[in-house]
Amino acid sequence: MRELKDKIRTFVVENFLFGNNENLEDTTSFLEEGIIDSTGVLELVTFIEEEFSITVEDEELIPENLDSICNVTAYLEKKI
Amino acid sequence: MNFDLDILQINPAEETKKVADFVTNQVYKVFRRRGVVVGISGGIDSAVMTAIAVRALGKENVIGLILTEKESNPVSKLYASTYAEALGIEWREIDITPTVESVGCYHWRDEYIKNLIPDYNSDCKYNITLPTDLLDRNAYNFYVLQVKLPDGTIKKKRLNFESFRTITAFASIKIRSRMIHLYWEAERRNLVVAGTTNRTEFILGDFCKYGDGGTDIEALSHLYKDQIYQLAGYLGVPAEIVERTPSPDTFSLPVSDQEFYFRIPFDKLDLLLFAWEHRISSSKTSGVLSLSEDAVNRVFRDFTTKNRATDHLREMAHTLS
Repeated sequence: MRELKDKIRTFVVENFLFGNNENLEDTTSFLEEGIIDSTGVLELVTFIEEEFSITVEDEELIPENLDSICNVTAYLEKKI
Repeated sequence: MNFDLDILQINPAEETKKVADFVTNQVYKVFRRRGVVVGISGGIDSAVMTAIAVRALGKENVIGLILTEKESNPVSKLYASTYAEALGIEWREIDITPTVESVGCYHWRDEYIKNLIPDYNSDCKYNITLPTDLLDRNAYNFYVLQVKLPDGTIKKKRLNFESFRTITAFASIKIRSRMIHLYWEAERRNLVVAGTTNRTEFILGDFCKYGDGGTDIEALSHLYKDQIYQLAGYLGVPAEIVERTPSPDTFSLPVSDQEFYFRIPFDKLDLLLFAWEHRISSSKTSGVLSLSEDAVNRVFRDFTTKNRATDHLREMAHTLS
């Protein structure tokens, strides 16, 4: 789980926070904090599909699965 | 603050005068031009803008351009020209297809879509849509490319970030091409380009930077779509325009504004937007609109992200000073 979380955190920090790791907790909501907007989440989806060789189904494109580092990690643990 | 189902009701006569006075002041005193040019689409916003401009400036000082393109809905020209004739304004149809083609776009666009859906060819029609059930379900704004084959079969593919950006960038070329022709007309004839963006579109960012957002004045951008309908009724805009489903009319396969951008039925959209803008609590909003609080919170979050993501559309270019 630690490794999953670290990969997701690294991606988010590099691509949406441009290296600024401050204030990004594992439970920080990407949407509410304006880190990733509702369309920008597609970048995150492309990343996790390619990095972890999974397919994110349409019905899985929900904040419960993708709106924080914790949510993404939990989602991936079910999928992988 | 008070919030009820009638909160968006306006006095159409007073509002028409207010908008007309704004247009008159802007055209004659601020810009010092002789009139306006309006891109008339056959839709309700441009119909209302044109009608008010005629009241403000006189029909001889209002020019309508019908900016069609090979993939436009044919009713756009029919409705626009019929109403322009009824208003007695000078109008002209300009086919913007060569302008779009000059950027080399259609062939490139077709090749790109074919890579996504191999059955696609230039005889197919396509659009992109969002899930339209934001009130019922919590889901991100992911676009689906829909291709209608000549035999009527619909093929679909969810767009990733890169393909979404690419397809909307192509669509924006059409919208910016319209702007080019409006300014060509305006500058050589000493006119002001009157935009037709309403408040719902303005706040949520449903317009194209330097496209339909590239204008001199936006006389309707303080009015919610619902209020545009109220004005249309007062101004006598023809029923076929009023009843027409609002659409961006930039894709060869028709798509409504709800399917393309808003994801909420119009009878709820503006009231929810008003509530969000005026910080009405989700509990109060849900009671007035007979929606669940979860649904209202989902919508409020969607509005916040859309508004935030489109701030740049409402700003001047960023500078150092």
